[in-house]
Amino acid sequence: MSLSINNLGRRIGDRWILRHLNLEVSDGECLALVGPSGCGKSTTLRLIAGLDPVDEGSIRIQGVDITHTAAIDRKVGMVFQSYALFPHLSVAANLELGLKVRGCSRDVRQRKVHHVLQLVQLDERASLKPAQLSGGQRQRVALARALLRDPQIYLLDEPMSNLDAQLREDLRPELRRLVLQDQKPVVYVTHDQHEAMAMADRIAVLRHGCIEQVASPMELYQQPETLFVAQFIGRPQINVLPSEQGVVRAIRPEAVELREDGFPSRLLHREWLGSTQIWHLESSMGALRMVTSAQQSVPERFAVGWAPQHEHRFDAKDGKRLHS
Amino acid sequence: MQRRIWIVLLLAWSLGPLLWQLYTSFSTNQALVSPFSDLQQRWTLSHYQAVLNGNPPFWRYLFNSLLVGAGSTVLTLVIAIPAAYGLTRIRGGVNQWARLILIAAALFPYVLLFLALLEVARSLNLGNHLLALTIPYAALSQPLAILLLSSAFRDLPIDLEEAATLEGLGLWQRLRWVLLPLIAPASTSTAVLVFLFSWNEYPIALTWISDSDLLTLPVAMARIAGSSIYSVPYGAYAAATVLGSIPLILLVLMFQKSIVSGLTSGAVKG
Repeated sequence: MSLSINNLGRRIGDRWILRHLNLEVSDGECLALVGPSGCGKSTTLRLIAGLDPVDEGSIRIQGVDITHTAAIDRKVGMVFQSYALFPHLSVAANLELGLKVRGCSRDVRQRKVHHVLQLVQLDERASLKPAQLSGGQRQRVALARALLRDPQIYLLDEPMSNLDAQLREDLRPELRRLVLQDQKPVVYVTHDQHEAMAMADRIAVLRHGCIEQVASPMELYQQPETLFVAQFIGRPQINVLPSEQGVVRAIRPEAVELREDGFPSRLLHREWLGSTQIWHLESSMGALRMVTSAQQSVPERFAVGWAPQHEHRFDAKDGKRLHS
Repeated sequence: MQRRIWIVLLLAWSLGPLLWQLYTSFSTNQALVSPFSDLQQRWTLSHYQAVLNGNPPFWRYLFNSLLVGAGSTVLTLVIAIPAAYGLTRIRGGVNQWARLILIAAALFPYVLLFLALLEVARSLNLGNHLLALTIPYAALSQPLAILLLSSAFRDLPIDLEEAATLEGLGLWQRLRWVLLPLIAPASTSTAVLVFLFSWNEYPIALTWISDSDLLTLPVAMARIAGSSIYSVPYGAYAAATVLGSIPLILLVLMFQKSIVSGLTSGAVKG
């Protein structure tokens, strides 16, 4: 395993903002850290980069312990949420600065910068200042800088959250291709579960500084280990029924269907999504969301239900999955 | 339209005395005392000639002031920039206290330090030496300079420095390549303020320096004004004032853009 995090902890004052974190990311794998804000996902990234000190546990890259190595000596390629481009330098100078202080000769520098700019399709923009670039172009410059670092690991901190939805969708495959081409571990932080599902090979869901579950996107969706994961992954959000005898049942809106023997329901509101539609229902089991095909018309009186295998069952007290 | 009237009034209010000084410096003594009578000779360069050919010549004072101003400005920045950087990177109570103390020091009337400074200068054998002005000017400018510069450092996103660190830049390299270029407007406006202070400073310059070859402008000008007990040499005094203002006007014109942006930095998040 090429990135190996063992029992990692970070404390501010008396409060642990991250604790007992264990993660393994292999070469050429993209792991997404997701969770609500304040869950510790950015902190984890900063600990790997060495920007904040580690209070407990260890971090190893390619088997070498770097827990207490200074940030300047770690070979990490980081893309910041703000991109953190140097505003007073041109695109080319932004990329060259790191190479220069790391002792690259002028010729080598220019060749490398030229090459990476072609890679991110910005060779025409080399002499512009960051302020003259669009958001997507800035993001690609930041990525180019990380690529030039020739890092042992890539860290991406919400790299697309400042871009509009269309651009994000367009950039995803390109971003994934670029960071994974040299077979290094990639840690990708995002608060957007949809983006995590699209980008990552595996996803770690964090909450209150602890990992709830690490699994492939499909497994997270189909076998959420906790109620929190079930609610965090998948849109529209999973239906959670009122708890009965210490058990909470949850059903994906996609699994809800019209059934004669189901719960009598009433349509409150419908959202068209083109190929599908979302029905917001009021039923005898409380409010329910249901995804159905766009062609489905609303019967005058109807009942909804689901196949029993689509039911997820959780312990009402600790939110853990009940395996039956 | 109304706005224009106000601007003209404000300009007249602030530029009027300067223009009057300029007019005085080129007027003959007769023209000064009877401005409305019909005179044969109204304009003259004699005041400038008198000032420039004095003993020591006027450029000598200009040079002294420039030397002291430049020296104290450089010294101030060399000390204040690292101090301001350090102050912004220290977190917690120390930072708050340091800021409070700096504000108190900046507001402290420096004339009260006079005797103590004099003793220090004497014990260092700095009497009648331009360093005796340069060092205290730099010291007195320190609190304000540190406060201005540290607010400039604080306005820089921390991401920038962290990105530079991850790129492999050490502390000095980060300052040299990233931080200093970005706070250049604030450094410039701080430098101009420090320079202005030492250019205009009077009490210390008056007491520390008695050798007339080493006088700075304000003291030299005061000497011109008080050179005769029977008359006030308005013309010569005005000529000296005009000559003394020229370097400042050039300075402000050269750096006006960064002075304005530096003084307003922190007012609006960019």
